[in-house]
Amino acid sequence: MTFGEYVVSRWGTLSLAAAEHALVVAIAIGIATVVGVGIGLLGFQAPKVRGASLALSAGILTIPSLALLTLLIPITGLGWGPTLVALTGYAFLPIIRNTVTGLDGVDAATVEAGRGMGLSAARVLLKVRLPLAWPLILTGVRVSAQMLIGIAAIAAYVDGPGLGTQIFEGLARLGSVNSLNATLAGTLGIVVIAVLFDAFFFAVRQLTTPRGLRVRP
Amino acid sequence: MFDRDPAGVRIELRGLTKHYPGQPAPAVDNVNLDIPAGELVVFVGPSGCGKTTTMKMINRLVEPTSGEIRIGGEDVLNLHPDELRRHIGYAIQQVGLFPHLTVGENVALVPKLLGWPAAKVADRVEELLSLVNLEPGAYHDRYPRQLSGGQQQRVGVARALAADPPVMLMDEPFGATDPITREHLQSEFAKLQKKLRKTIIFVTHDFEEAITLGDRIAVLRERSHIAQYDTPANILAAPADDYVAGFIGQDATLKRLALLTVDDVPAVGPVPSSNGLPRVDAGTSLREALDTMVAHGSDRCATPSGVLTYTALCEAVGTDGAKTGHEEVAAGDR
Repeated sequence: MTFGEYVVSRWGTLSLAAAEHALVVAIAIGIATVVGVGIGLLGFQAPKVRGASLALSAGILTIPSLALLTLLIPITGLGWGPTLVALTGYAFLPIIRNTVTGLDGVDAATVEAGRGMGLSAARVLLKVRLPLAWPLILTGVRVSAQMLIGIAAIAAYVDGPGLGTQIFEGLARLGSVNSLNATLAGTLGIVVIAVLFDAFFFAVRQLTTPRGLRVRP
Repeated sequence: MFDRDPAGVRIELRGLTKHYPGQPAPAVDNVNLDIPAGELVVFVGPSGCGKTTTMKMINRLVEPTSGEIRIGGEDVLNLHPDELRRHIGYAIQQVGLFPHLTVGENVALVPKLLGWPAAKVADRVEELLSLVNLEPGAYHDRYPRQLSGGQQQRVGVARALAADPPVMLMDEPFGATDPITREHLQSEFAKLQKKLRKTIIFVTHDFEEAITLGDRIAVLRERSHIAQYDTPANILAAPADDYVAGFIGQDATLKRLALLTVDDVPAVGPVPSSNGLPRVDAGTSLREALDTMVAHGSDRCATPSGVLTYTALCEAVGTDGAKTGHEEVAAGDR
């Protein structure tokens, strides 16, 4: 069976796995963005929160994904549970770090002018710093998303959703019929998902970056 | 608050001190100063002398260590800092426009914070943009990045004026522009202030700028000690000490001439017709008139009201130019 025939014959399985793969990543990124940006905003004014959250999220990233997924089984069981928890955990570092860096990087004169005009500290943070930091925050989210799409493949080990199943099945039966096709389908599917996510974030960036930051002089 | 009347109010500084923790000496040490209502007072001094710190204590961007600040008789240290700042215009050298907001939104910010009705805010924005010579139709919807440095400074001034505050604090607001734009902005702003009569504290290290704009000048030395506080003419005529004299530079008399115009000097003789005298327009500064005279090798020039002589020039600044000066010019008159 050629690769093309394989994809056509297994289209139902493959497309469902791909959709689940994208969905689990999207949910994890959604949660991590809301929580991560929130922590970044809190950490901006509380150095202890900032230090602790950055250290913790960096710590999570050092745990091998296979180990983390396995360690989560007693708590979350198999399948979607450990996959979502692990992916969300991995997504934090780029998001929190870019949020903090972006908020910090806003031109001091702009902030001073805002304070001097009588904007409260909270208003400067939410109405001035956050919109100006947004492109950088979004870059963090995008990096996290790309990373998670790759990691999500490992989730097949704990019976998680996604295209990882194709890859692992193929590798386990290497040399037998369709093993290469399965591995290839899983891998290429992940590449396609990554490209689609990137296109999505490009569009989001275009739509949500304040116009004043996009205009050319 | 003190801004029920948008015309200027008096500012009083009493024993104002800022001592940063860990520093051996205070950055601002016991400043006492009265700023009359509706006047533009320039704080001038070398960098690091504490002039900006002194200014920032007035809107409490820097909290004083001790001392008292009264605006229109009201003790500002008893007011909420954010609330206080909404009633004090603030313009800085780097302008600090919000790049994600349009020019119109930048200017509208404080009036909106103060809860003005939308229609009133819109009218005010139009009015202010015209006031700083930016065509509202063309600039209202532009973003700060699309403006030149000079245009940004104008928007900065418009934004500071937005809620019609009786007090404005300006920290080298024209500092970041090229000399030509700068001079242009200065003269525009001087005209504007003549109309508005706000109480303005203006910080600069440029003594020329201080003379051009100030009703009064406070020459500051380190730790914001006041070396001299007087009108530009008085400081130029009688610097309090060598420090002030050094700040003025070598050409104090020329600078005094720059403060007067040909209309301030009684002209002699009838209005000349075309008898070959160099002519100057009404409102020309005496410095420029002198320049015209020297350029034409003449000791007199024609003004719209009569003839201005070199002697009259010298008398205007209180020197006896009748003999020596006249001869010098005559000698140069070939």
